[in-house]
Amino acid sequence: MNIGLSKSVRYILKPSWLTGPIFDKELRVSSRRRRNYVLRSAYLAILTVFVVLVWHTMVRFQGAAAYRISQMSVAGLAIITTIIMFQFVATQLIAVVMLSTSISDEIYNRTLGVLMTTPINSFQIVMGKLFSKLLQIILLLAISLPLLATVRVFGGVPWNYVISSVCITLTAVIFAGVLSLYFSISARRAYVVILKTLFTLGIIYLFIPIMVVLVSQSFVPTIRQPLMLFSIVMLPNPFVVMQFNTAAMMSPGAVGIMPIPLSWPIHCVVMLGASVFLLAWSMRIVRRVALRQATGQLDLATKNRKKKKLSLKTTKSEGQSGLIRRVKGSPVVWKELRAPIIQGSRKKNIIGLAITIIALLITYAVNMKEKLLDEDFTHIAYTLVFVIIGLITNIVLSATTITTEKETRSWPILLATSMSDWQILIGKAVGVFRRCLPIWLLLAGHLILFITVRYIHPIAVVHLAILVTWIVVFLSGSGLYFSARLKRTTSAVVANFALALTLWAVIPLLLGLVATITYESDILEAYILTNPVVQTVVIMDGAGGSHNATRNLSRLNYEWPSPSGSNWNSIRSTTSILFITMLIYMSMGLLFAWRAKCRFRRNIF
Amino acid sequence: MIETKRLTKHYGNLTALVDLDLVIEAGDIFGFIGPNGAGKTTTMRILVTLLEPSSGQAFIDGLDITKKGKEVRRMVGYMPDFMGIYDDLKVFEYLEFFAAAFSIEHKKRKSIVEGVLELTDLQSKGSFTVDSLSRGMQQRLGLARVLIHDPKVLVLDEPASGLDPRARIEIRELLRELKRMGKTIMISSHILSELEEICDHIGIIEQGRLVFSGTMEEIRQRMGVQSKVRVQVANNQQRAIELLSALPEVQDVQSTGRYIAVTLDKDQNTDGIIARVLVNGDIDIVSLEPQQVKLDEAFLQLTKGIVH
Ligand SMILES: Nc1ncnc2c1ncn2[C@@H]1O[C@H](COP(=O)(O)OP(=O)(O)OP(=O)(O)O)[C@@H](O)[C@H]1O
Ligand SMILES: [Mg+2]
Repeated sequence: MNIGLSKSVRYILKPSWLTGPIFDKELRVSSRRRRNYVLRSAYLAILTVFVVLVWHTMVRFQGAAAYRISQMSVAGLAIITTIIMFQFVATQLIAVVMLSTSISDEIYNRTLGVLMTTPINSFQIVMGKLFSKLLQIILLLAISLPLLATVRVFGGVPWNYVISSVCITLTAVIFAGVLSLYFSISARRAYVVILKTLFTLGIIYLFIPIMVVLVSQSFVPTIRQPLMLFSIVMLPNPFVVMQFNTAAMMSPGAVGIMPIPLSWPIHCVVMLGASVFLLAWSMRIVRRVALRQATGQLDLATKNRKKKKLSLKTTKSEGQSGLIRRVKGSPVVWKELRAPIIQGSRKKNIIGLAITIIALLITYAVNMKEKLLDEDFTHIAYTLVFVIIGLITNIVLSATTITTEKETRSWPILLATSMSDWQILIGKAVGVFRRCLPIWLLLAGHLILFITVRYIHPIAVVHLAILVTWIVVFLSGSGLYFSARLKRTTSAVVANFALALTLWAVIPLLLGLVATITYESDILEAYILTNPVVQTVVIMDGAGGSHNATRNLSRLNYEWPSPSGSNWNSIRSTTSILFITMLIYMSMGLLFAWRAKCRFRRNIF
Repeated sequence: MIETKRLTKHYGNLTALVDLDLVIEAGDIFGFIGPNGAGKTTTMRILVTLLEPSSGQAFIDGLDITKKGKEVRRMVGYMPDFMGIYDDLKVFEYLEFFAAAFSIEHKKRKSIVEGVLELTDLQSKGSFTVDSLSRGMQQRLGLARVLIHDPKVLVLDEPASGLDPRARIEIRELLRELKRMGKTIMISSHILSELEEICDHIGIIEQGRLVFSGTMEEIRQRMGVQSKVRVQVANNQQRAIELLSALPEVQDVQSTGRYIAVTLDKDQNTDGIIARVLVNGDIDIVSLEPQQVKLDEAFLQLTKGIVH
């Protein structure tokens, strides 16, 4: 009886009844992977740096005990909120990247069909994949818990807050992960999955709420309670709930105004529900895809499904579809462009672009109705969205260029051709640039449109061109480097994301933390000058809006976060700041590219 | 055409190649044979400049592969053991891509691609996506790709693996055709008999060492260390066994039911001796068949004991 009891206890404790052998296999494999250790150590390192830095600056304070204690709780609060925000964003990104190859790996290594011939069911496949990766992320969260607990000693932060934030983070991670898994069923390339997931999340968390609020305010003024609508749209939005939760902790009085309280338990339940729904849907699809793969019909099924519906007679030539395109110019560039960003034909891409432009025009219309189009902050927002989407696309696309070749084993053959390493490198870089081009063209279109109607000063084109140039060169260089250096697409994308986040989010956060404690913000302000987001905001703040658009160049005013005593508001200093930033980042990007070239022929196999 | 001198490769602690000395003459088909993990793929990767040797040198047409990488690549066509597939390309596009990668002019590409498609009998598949081809067709496409820049030297890593007998024969024909076109071909395999008909020279590699190198004739002689003769006698089998065992040339005599299996020492046409001895001993011979040791068996014997 005793044995039976312990057996059943073990049965319940060990989740393999739920997940089965897939889970075990994934865990075993992932514990062998160096990248998981690298990830964990990097994560831990960043967190420790946070704490050490703050602690270090804090002990410098001399003064009355009471002052020091109050100072400590300020620091404690600052550290905890920073850590929580950091891990909130970081773990979601990691979840998306980690799960982006979860199913597609099995499909395209032709193992999914094999799995389907075993008694493992699709429930176990999906769950096994999901939980094994989630476990890695939960480990990351667990790493930060002792740190949070230590810092909490400083006072000022209730346990309640720590727990609720971890819950919000966890459900957000699950949702992001499940979404990524869902996309990985139908797309074989990791970057396609990552981009699809990030953009879907962007639409759910950002675009839809903004549109709903804007549209409801301008076209349906009868809605009595905009707050009501607001809270419904925001409920499945972890970013808002997180902010709200933090605000509620800082000043409890603010909570009352929401009709449906954005309470975190409800939010978490909603997120979990959505995840479960998506998972169930994924299971259904996995089975279908797996069976198709087992019978070797994968390709025609994904490519010609529509055609087949139209006419069943065209079964004669199954792999045959579309025209043959001749290779023009550099073969590497041609090849890069041949692979569509989102799987499917060129026609689909054009339709996608058309839909984007139409959506953009609708937002213009809404903003026009609200009389917001001539304001500078409207154009700050638009430009920021373009720049951030451009950043993400560039990060992902450049990091996937070479690793996908490695994964499809075509890299050695390419290296065995008589193309020089420079030719390949430049081809890849141009390919990345060309594939990011639509986004920058949209930005250019936006600028030109509003320059002609005199809502933006023409000089913004020059400034943004400088900004975009260095962003593209730098990120393409680093992406190519990681892609040449690492074996797997996933690792390369994570590395490139990590680089960008460290430079433009983690370091500023750290410096910000120091600044709140020491009240000295010179370093922060000097550093943050080179931040692409800050630069975008300052450029558009100075040149956007009808009040700026018609000014003389010399009368434009740019509000740089300048270190004390300096005044960098003029157009001349703005241009110099941008130019110097461009030089710095471009030389770094070229350095990366050169290193990438040096790594081409190492560790090919 | 191809020459290696004391070529050595380490992977960490593991030594994959030890002082490999190979010489392959121009216009030859060289069969490179060895069991799994012997170092065939490693050697080939080094030759096509994808891997740096740990020490030693290798030359292709007199060019040092570590120094003249680009020239070597232009001259060599390499077909890896696992074919890299650009899954979203069509057959024609795939080939044209590599034609462009070898900087063949745009104008000439179409006819060249069509030429290799014809040579590999894939004309009808030009507009199929690469991954919709069957395994054998993909293998042929791999060969087509190798030929696209008209290389002097072909390095083919197990081109016949996974093919059905017919496709193997087709590939063999294709290789003969290429030999006629004057190409030097290095081809690897696990199976000696698969190469015996087409190869001029054979190298056998074993745990990174070349254990044998020579012509097909030499290998037959070397491996024909023992030849077997099967004898059937009409009467008095026991006495026949005794008589045969007494011969100095005979290594081993075994009775297998109606037959006597005689293993002879060196292959010096000793069949005559057996017949004479038996006839002199008043034994009627029903049949006497010399049995050549099968090449694969010999190969196993040659490499016996080194690999488990
Ligand atoms: N990238 C690598 N890292 C470490 N060891 C390797 C690597 N590639 C090959 N090896 C080792 O080198 C040895 C030779 O491998 P190689 O691939 O050359 O053998 P092979 O003769 O081609 O075998 P097969 O017939 O199975 O293709 C093996 O022991 C193998 O484990
Ligand atoms: Mg091999």
